[in-house]
Amino acid sequence: MSRLAMALAVMLLLASAGMARAEQLVSALSNGNIAITSSFDGEVLSLFGNVEPDEGKHNVSGNYDVVIVVIGPSVDRVARLKTNVLGFWMNTEQVEFNPFPTFFQVLSGNPLDKIADHQALEDLRILPDAQARVSAVPQSLHVERFGAELVRLMTARGLFGINETAVRFISPTAYVAQLPLPADISNGLFITQTYLFKDGKLLATRGDSFAINKTGFERFLFTSAHQYPLLYGLVCVLLAVGTGWLGGVVFRR
Amino acid sequence: MNLFYLVGIGGAVGFLSGLFGVGGGFLLTPLLIFSGVPSSVAVSSVTGQVVAASTSGALSYWRRGGIDFHLALYLILSSLIGVSGGVATFSALRAAGQLDLVISVGYLLLLGTVGTLMLSEAVRALLKRRAGLVVRERLPNQHTWMHGLPFRIRFKRSKLYISVVPVIVIGMGIGFVGSLLGVGGGFILVPALVYLLRVPGSVVVGTTLLQMVAMMAATTLLQAMQSQSVDVLLSFCLMVGGTIGAQFGASAGQYLRGDQLRFLLALLVLAIAIRFGLTLVLAPADPFSVATIGASGVI
Repeated sequence: MSRLAMALAVMLLLASAGMARAEQLVSALSNGNIAITSSFDGEVLSLFGNVEPDEGKHNVSGNYDVVIVVIGPSVDRVARLKTNVLGFWMNTEQVEFNPFPTFFQVLSGNPLDKIADHQALEDLRILPDAQARVSAVPQSLHVERFGAELVRLMTARGLFGINETAVRFISPTAYVAQLPLPADISNGLFITQTYLFKDGKLLATRGDSFAINKTGFERFLFTSAHQYPLLYGLVCVLLAVGTGWLGGVVFRR
Repeated sequence: MNLFYLVGIGGAVGFLSGLFGVGGGFLLTPLLIFSGVPSSVAVSSVTGQVVAASTSGALSYWRRGGIDFHLALYLILSSLIGVSGGVATFSALRAAGQLDLVISVGYLLLLGTVGTLMLSEAVRALLKRRAGLVVRERLPNQHTWMHGLPFRIRFKRSKLYISVVPVIVIGMGIGFVGSLLGVGGGFILVPALVYLLRVPGSVVVGTTLLQMVAMMAATTLLQAMQSQSVDVLLSFCLMVGGTIGAQFGASAGQYLRGDQLRFLLALLVLAIAIRFGLTLVLAPADPFSVATIGASGVI
């Protein structure tokens, strides 16, 4: 066990040493902890960062490309297809995707196919379709088709998407990007993966995270429904009986 | 979803339920589904509203002595078996992706049958009235073969000495259908008690209301525990709107004759049945849909 840990540590050190020779990324978020209150109707998150020159050089040459992938918490999803059976429309086929992110936005400053080749984007799971391919339950047929439809449906809801004009360089090395978060965003831990490309090559990556949490009464309801379902149900019933009784008293039915 | 919209829906349905003297679950659940609430959340949140609506009714019947507690006990206990079956079926169907289909077919059959029966009855009554005949309701006093089944029990308040078998079958059936479709089932239970068991009119409504309170309370509890699809905020908005709306509906109902009311209600019930039928037959705007597996649904 300890030998394995040692080996891992050495590998990590080697890897980071390897990275240290090239450019590095520093990045930050405008808000690391977003609170969903009862009046929450979305928010714009700013992501910014800088390309740090490697130790030998003093200045960095331009033409960098930054791609940021923002990934929300995962749930088990299922995509279903309705077909006509004897005149009735019903769900006849389904493919499960678990775990599948509830939010997946790709931000870049140039068209993705000009930043890196398709295989590299696929391998890094930058494209939403690649994410669907990875999450699909292996035995399922039609994974490609259902995965594409799942991504389309999530895109229609504003939870998935690719924005190829979101990242803006404000100096040869400093970038800023803006990401609107929709009102019906799920809460939990969000991960932002920032990739630095130059001439189609990946130079550096960097991960950040931020949290979206319900607060106040919403949070109280959410946690009690999921953690104390019996109590939650009892409160619902008592509330109903109480309202009915009160209505009967007030209006003397 | 907008808070005022929900209270508004609750109020409108409460008005109708007060006007027609029905529980309102079979109007409220479809309305919520048609306005975009997931059917699982709609069904399990309406049950709370039905509890509230039935409670005030049951209390007023209790004060007037209009409840057969002995009969209600048998109905409640048997409906609890039906409810646990219904809630389990609900979860299984949701996991299989067939809940929407079963709810649509269930409403189509249930409301289609009830609506057709009501409409033909109401039209007949209206025509007779126009012809100048005095409409007299046939008193249901004869025994049927059901009363002769074994395990006979005396229900003193209802002045009945009947087999307990049909009582249990009716209770279980109501529990299953009610918890699966999110309806109190008063519009099935009242006719069933009157025409099948010959329960006298003085206690039939009160007993039904008490049974509905217990059955829907159990459904709410089980749904909250099993599928966690009860939305207390949604439910509360509907309760408040429904309780207030019912008062105005009840006073408005005094200006309409009984057969006219039944005619209008029949048209409404049939319209909802047709709407469900259309969702089954018409090609969906998008054949693909996405759902979350496991517990979800609370706003």
